[in-house]
Amino acid sequence: MAAMKELLLMTHVLLGVFCLITSVWVFVDVLQASEANRARIGWLSRACALSMGLSFLLAGYWYVVHYPADKALILKGPWPFSHNFFMETKEHLVILLLLLTMYLPIAAANNLVNNKSARQLVLCVAGLVVLLSLAMEGEGAFIAMGVKVALLAH
Amino acid sequence: MENTSLSKYSVSFGLSLAITSVVNGLLVVLKEEIPGVMSGMKSITGHHWITHSLFVILLFLLLGFGLAQTSGNSEGAETAQSPRGKVMGGVLVGALIIMGFYLIIG
Repeated sequence: MAAMKELLLMTHVLLGVFCLITSVWVFVDVLQASEANRARIGWLSRACALSMGLSFLLAGYWYVVHYPADKALILKGPWPFSHNFFMETKEHLVILLLLLTMYLPIAAANNLVNNKSARQLVLCVAGLVVLLSLAMEGEGAFIAMGVKVALLAH
Repeated sequence: MENTSLSKYSVSFGLSLAITSVVNGLLVVLKEEIPGVMSGMKSITGHHWITHSLFVILLFLLLGFGLAQTSGNSEGAETAQSPRGKVMGGVLVGALIIMGFYLIIG
């Protein structure tokens, strides 16, 4: 049972990576939108939203229940900015990412094959999802490293 | 032939996303700067972040459906106004408020 906390955290990261991969896939598919990939764009955008939603729920549970112990450790360690900047921004920027992924299937439901405006909208949203997902992965790395250097210093 | 119209939900939820992104950033500043807001948010669900998330998600949904109803278009009707610029601007401003705030107070 002790490993459940770590498995929960790793599943959250895995789902975040899945969200990133599907958003890149949507972006590339929309660049070459046609009747052949129209359905795939639709279900990939929904998969992106679903994976982000699940990742958000797992991360939220972990943040509320398990993070306070890590937070105390980080703040006593040599990298307090891991919490003060990276976790504080991550926990609020991730809400923007969730909203963007919720919006992606709505934007992708337009006829992308012969609508340049719709394609540009989906490219913009998918691009923002990619950038924010990468930022979340990077911030997560800083938080994990904050815990590690605190433990090493201890 | 290319067309430029978008579904009314694309437009309404795009506008909602832009507004909600900025509100999300402003709510961060409010709860961090005003202790009463923070304690109020904690008292609603037990954790400020849960209240914050629920508020922002509900606002996004309510604004999205609300703006779609007030757009004046009938079900399935389309509009030519793309919210692309507003989405990018709203998300950028919302993200900058959050990062700027924690850079300054951090």
